[in-house]
Amino acid sequence: MTEQEVVHREVAAVDHTDYIVSMDEVTFTYPGSEEPVLNGVSLQIKRGDFVAVIGGNGSGKSTLCKTLNGLIPHYYVGDFAGSVTVNGLNSLECDVARLSRHVGYVYQDFENQLIRPTVLDDASFAPLNYGFKDYLERGKRALQLTDLKVDHNEYIWQLSGGQKHQLALAGAVSLDPEILIIDEPVAQLDPCHAKDIYDLLKNLNERHGKTIIVIEHHTEFIAEYCKEVILMDKGRAIWSKPVKEALRELEQLKASQIYPPQVTQAASLIVETSEVGLNSYPVRLEEAVRYFEQLAETIGTTVAGTASAAIPADREVEGESKTLIPPVIEMDHIKFSYRTVTRQRKVVLKDVSVSFQRGDLVALVGNNGAGKSSLMRLITGVTKPEGGYVRVKGTNTADTSPEELANTVTYIYQNPEEMFIEDSIRKDIEFFLKARRVEGYQQKVDEIVETFGLTGLQHRDGRLLSGGQQRRASLAIGVAMNPSIILLDEPTANLDIATRKDITRLLLGLNQHVETVIVATHDMQLVAEWANRVIVMNEGSIVRDGTRESVFEDSELLELAGLNAPQIMELSRKLNMSPLSYTVDDFAYRWNAVLPEHKKHRDQENGIESGQEVIENGICS
Amino acid sequence: MEYVRKLMDRVSVEGVKIELLNTAYGNGNTFLAKLDPRTLFAWYLYFGIAPWFIHDVVLLIGLFLFMTVTTIMSRVSPLIIFILCLGLLSQAGYLLVVSWIFGGGWDTILPLLVLTTKLSVISMASITVFCSMDPEKLSDGLLSIGVPKQVSFGIAYGYRMLPSLLEEYHHIFLSFRLRGVAPKRHGILYWRSIAYFLKIAVLSFYPLILSIAKRTRTTVEALEAKGFSYAYQSPEVKKNKLSYMKFTIRDGLFITVSALYVCLLYLFTASYTF
Repeated sequence: MTEQEVVHREVAAVDHTDYIVSMDEVTFTYPGSEEPVLNGVSLQIKRGDFVAVIGGNGSGKSTLCKTLNGLIPHYYVGDFAGSVTVNGLNSLECDVARLSRHVGYVYQDFENQLIRPTVLDDASFAPLNYGFKDYLERGKRALQLTDLKVDHNEYIWQLSGGQKHQLALAGAVSLDPEILIIDEPVAQLDPCHAKDIYDLLKNLNERHGKTIIVIEHHTEFIAEYCKEVILMDKGRAIWSKPVKEALRELEQLKASQIYPPQVTQAASLIVETSEVGLNSYPVRLEEAVRYFEQLAETIGTTVAGTASAAIPADREVEGESKTLIPPVIEMDHIKFSYRTVTRQRKVVLKDVSVSFQRGDLVALVGNNGAGKSSLMRLITGVTKPEGGYVRVKGTNTADTSPEELANTVTYIYQNPEEMFIEDSIRKDIEFFLKARRVEGYQQKVDEIVETFGLTGLQHRDGRLLSGGQQRRASLAIGVAMNPSIILLDEPTANLDIATRKDITRLLLGLNQHVETVIVATHDMQLVAEWANRVIVMNEGSIVRDGTRESVFEDSELLELAGLNAPQIMELSRKLNMSPLSYTVDDFAYRWNAVLPEHKKHRDQENGIESGQEVIENGICS
Repeated sequence: MEYVRKLMDRVSVEGVKIELLNTAYGNGNTFLAKLDPRTLFAWYLYFGIAPWFIHDVVLLIGLFLFMTVTTIMSRVSPLIIFILCLGLLSQAGYLLVVSWIFGGGWDTILPLLVLTTKLSVISMASITVFCSMDPEKLSDGLLSIGVPKQVSFGIAYGYRMLPSLLEEYHHIFLSFRLRGVAPKRHGILYWRSIAYFLKIAVLSFYPLILSIAKRTRTTVEALEAKGFSYAYQSPEVKKNKLSYMKFTIRDGLFITVSALYVCLLYLFTASYTF
């Protein structure tokens, strides 16, 4: 136990703060498992707090939250020791039903939590079961609280992903619980909806006094919305700290595979190299603006016009010869629509013309329903355009079958589980090669399994792997098909940041084997770090096709397409840096290019040989 | 060839999904859909069972006509009608073949045709009743006549899951296509292609079953948290839930007209016989 932890506990023991949750030495082992998932967890959560629970995969975050509504130990009957008190109730003495009136829970796979077919029916399901006569009113109130503006009799399968999340939240608040637990709200939603959900939670926290607990990987959201952070590691609560303090624990966060906000990373990277910085790192964008302005002021220089670290990959390198090479994919005046349940046709693509060349690393961006997935599915040939034509390497997709096109094109689903058609991932990877009776495929599969770090997992069922492993497996399945064109649908969605970095690295490796890669994504960091061509779609049309600069420097376009630029880019924009920095490394590089000059200068003046220079005017704490 | 492709495009998994959902939920505005589920149950109790015991051809034809009218009134989706017709036609066709092979004449065909008529009356009565109740209404109706809560919940939940399951099935099916090899030649009467598609249609069920098993975990936990098993012990909940159901003039009218028609039919048959 660290010294800090002891102090923290002693304080908790003497003060009389109103704690809504207290856990004391809680240990839990799932039935049939050897290792405890929770290992002596002790912590307190204040009433009205907004808490983020962070930690690497398998650190026990979800299990921790399930002890609060009594699913552990009443529903999962494992080895349970210690005590949990929730809003004055001991979890051992109350059953799930009783505790659920105090604790609302929104799952990560919230779609499976919607039980009834229509909106109001689902929102009022819990009040109905608990015997409230006014259950419909309660349901309506919950819908109002969560700001879900759809017809009360709408069927849930007609809702968008964001609306479904709101409905799941409505179901959780329908019993008016004091505590709300939300498991990874950002993971499954596009960035705009994620922000909406957090604004909603903030409102519930501030105006309605709910205690909010989120399980979250995205530290930028934590910095913006949460007040307290609990770090879990290997089934233990390492500490519980106020958010700013917590996000500056860079070493410990790193050890748990948590990446601090980009602005914090940038500040720390600059200190590491140039040993110049102010006394506490910024965690939010506004703080960072002030931090770097002050830093610039102190050192009397600016980085506004410095050159970038690396020249961004330029696809115009080949110059004029490009026009002579036929495009890899050619889409001409494509129209596409589908039939909805009400038998009307919904237009998804209206008159889209675009072509893709060899060497293109395309990011396809835009809000949900803009037509990104439809465009990609047209390339695979599983759907055919209603007007116009799609040519893949000269073949019109309307004249061939998806099986035939699969020799050229690979499509990797957003949900990797839908790609697991065999009972082990090795069999999944070899499926394509085996079906085509490729000579010596075993050896090739061995290589791919090795490259994607799946050697130890290859005989396991894909469905039972963790999110990151599933994603790696789905990429391996795609690469095994040896395609010229790879299409990926949201390859980094639903992953923690560490795994996301891993996937980004694998994507960067792809272009050595593949002619064209097209990625549909909401992940603007991926776009900024990886793509050499960005296509922005909005309501079935392409509204921009150009470099990342042409997209990210156009704030109106970002607004229109519902895109959020990466934080580091916003920072460089606010600091009037030109060109903008797209990555933390580039940002730090440019500052470091200026700082040593200044430092050498200063050191010579003061006769200092070396040593960390810290300017003592804490602007952030 | 071109025609077959067009047909294949129409008979997509997506299309089937839409038809199924429309059959289940799309008919909320018809006269029949506004009736109380208990009325429909009572009505079905007669029209679903009585035809078995009626041997008079005229009476059966009378019922057949009435059922045709109610089926039209319930505005069922073309898919259901298509399946019904397919069933009846194949039955009639097979009867014809069988009686021809075994040397029977009208003597054998006629009673068999009577059976077909009975079956179609019962089928249409079922379609009328079950297409006029969305799964919600059906499950509430069953609950009100004393069927256990789990059964009625199961019906409503099954339908709620149907669209997402179909979608997932579709994705898995496409996964097979996007990695598999289709036969190079279609074969006589497309038999190679048909066999290929049938094979992956069956294979797609296995991954689907596994992923359902996985999803269910969250659902079961959510049910627990939303007090589903808690409510099981309380009759109060059932009362609250069903408090919206009541009989109206509409129900009376429907039962009266049906009863009147059946009575007249019997009178007519009686006068015809004597």
